[in-house]
Amino acid sequence: MKRLLGVALGILTAIGGFVDIGDLVTNAVVGSRFGLSLVWVVLVGVVGIILFANMSGRVAAVSGRATFEVIRERLGPRAGLANLAASFLINLMTVTAEIGGVALALQLASSVYYLLWIPVAAVAVWLVIWRVRFSIMENVTGLLGLTLVIFAVAVFLLKPDWGSLAGQVLAPSVPQQETAWSYSYYAIALFGAAMTPYEVFFFSSGAVEEKWGVKDLAQSRINVLVGFPLGGLLSISIAICAALVLLPAGISVTSLSQVILPVAEGAGKLGLAFVLVGIVAATFGAALETTLSSGYTLAQFFGWSWGKFRRPAEAARFHLSMIVCLLVGIAVLATGVDPVLVTEYSVVFSAIALPLTYLPILIVANDPQYMHEHVNGRVVNVLGMVYLVIILVASIAAIPLMIVTGAGS
Amino acid sequence: MTSASAPLPKAPRAGGRILDAQLHLMDRQVLDHDGVPVTTVDDLEVSGPALDVNIEPGSPAPVLTALLTGSVLGTRIFGGRPPSSRLIRIPWKDVAEVGVVVKLGVKGEPLDASWVERWVRDKIIARIPGGRHDPR
Amino acid sequence: MILGDLLGTPVLDADGGRLGRVADVRFVLAGTPHQLMAEPRLLGLIVGPHSAASFLGYERNGLTRPHLIARFLRWRHRGSFLVLWEDVAQVGARSVRLRPGFTRYSAALENGEQA
Repeated sequence: MKRLLGVALGILTAIGGFVDIGDLVTNAVVGSRFGLSLVWVVLVGVVGIILFANMSGRVAAVSGRATFEVIRERLGPRAGLANLAASFLINLMTVTAEIGGVALALQLASSVYYLLWIPVAAVAVWLVIWRVRFSIMENVTGLLGLTLVIFAVAVFLLKPDWGSLAGQVLAPSVPQQETAWSYSYYAIALFGAAMTPYEVFFFSSGAVEEKWGVKDLAQSRINVLVGFPLGGLLSISIAICAALVLLPAGISVTSLSQVILPVAEGAGKLGLAFVLVGIVAATFGAALETTLSSGYTLAQFFGWSWGKFRRPAEAARFHLSMIVCLLVGIAVLATGVDPVLVTEYSVVFSAIALPLTYLPILIVANDPQYMHEHVNGRVVNVLGMVYLVIILVASIAAIPLMIVTGAGS
Repeated sequence: MTSASAPLPKAPRAGGRILDAQLHLMDRQVLDHDGVPVTTVDDLEVSGPALDVNIEPGSPAPVLTALLTGSVLGTRIFGGRPPSSRLIRIPWKDVAEVGVVVKLGVKGEPLDASWVERWVRDKIIARIPGGRHDPR
Repeated sequence: MILGDLLGTPVLDADGGRLGRVADVRFVLAGTPHQLMAEPRLLGLIVGPHSAASFLGYERNGLTRPHLIARFLRWRHRGSFLVLWEDVAQVGARSVRLRPGFTRYSAALENGEQA
């Protein structure tokens, strides 16, 4: 039972990866434009992130080294720095977007203009990082974020035609009003969203924060096997809701209010309350995850002392860098830029960061100097190589597709 | 000229543990005696040989004298390195163990290599309320 | 001397012919014992066809997985060899020159010797 409760890390990681503000909107957009024809991409992404998060969790548990340290040591200074630059920019853009997302969610709930919520959100994020214990942080945000399961509940309450839904999932095709280019672009965007590098940075650093050791390998596996499929489920539910309500009505998704419309329709006022709590919690959790990831990646690359388990005075540069990130986020949002738009462009940097992140993990997970007898098995290696190829293809195709489709418009 | 079709002979037994600079030491994390991260190994200081000088046959091999840190970001991207006087030394005698990470036998706090951390701590973090609060 | 300056320097034989670049520098912990660890003495240079990417060390450490990556990297660094300190004639800023009649040794690390 204790094992089952100890899955908060996996759940929080998955929340930041699958239902952050960018994904909330993208999944609804996908559902409202493509129906269920892209669900298979989410499934492929879930398997991929399970694979790599498990490997990086194992490396962290057995050797005590979190993922970005491994990246720096394996790739060397130049390629490692390229990855750091790309990953850091993704993190920074996502932090900015999430702070904006928390503000937007609070605006939705309170009708107070979102720009006023931005400093509140940023300070709240900082306070939690500064003072709240890691385990408390992950348990509370993880649990509250799970209220997004109301999307799945709403699917049932909307009484869909299950047969036609299954048909769309299993026999995907490009809808009439869309092109193969935009279909491919969104496929890559969804795949990249499922496998965003900050998920493995956060998960492996969290493993070190929780001081997982060899005896916790089973725990790590349960976290991965519970958290990410849940994240994928939430993701898919949002898309299904949009497909059931927005697509037939031709409603296009431009803001959070369209995203939650199906829940209001299916589950009424109570559902609306749940979804608002869920969205605030999920964006807040994602803000925590990405801010911490910014700190983790910088500190691990440069060899600084890091960790929430240390006094801030003992991890000074780690905390300073996160404060700076939050300040930059506030500054960018104050210019009035749309937070969701910011995440769409982080797809570009993901293209660089994805292969440079996953190759070192795959290699180190096979290295007995790090892993002793816990090196990868045969099946995991084969799957790992297959996914490496998929990741490479996705990362090469991302930018051209983005240009051709104008970021999916 | 370089491709040997027959397998190369094994080197004579060295009489001790082998460490390859790039493979085992460069870019590794340095932890202090208590496991607290100090820095990364940016470069290594070797006692010789003198440059552009013919080496007498039978002269003793150089030894590795110190770990170096303090490479500036710009030089890491574009190549080159800061002058030796600007790099910070961690003498080899302080190194306790080399494995996945390099562990020192001394505390990291008083080392030159920790000066930036100390500065940030004293000037910034310690000034924010709660900075010294133990999170456990 | 700073080791980073040596890595990547072209290696020439006694007649000036190009053999490769310094891919790595091998030390052995057999020098003066200090309090904690013995002093590392320079054993030799690993000469390889390129100096890049040999950080992964696949051509030396006997790791065979993942298969495709291991095979690709071994192929890329085929022709790497170890040359002992005794065979080094001169270390310069722009090249390293070896003595005539130097011996090429295998660069492989034995299991017991691996760090």
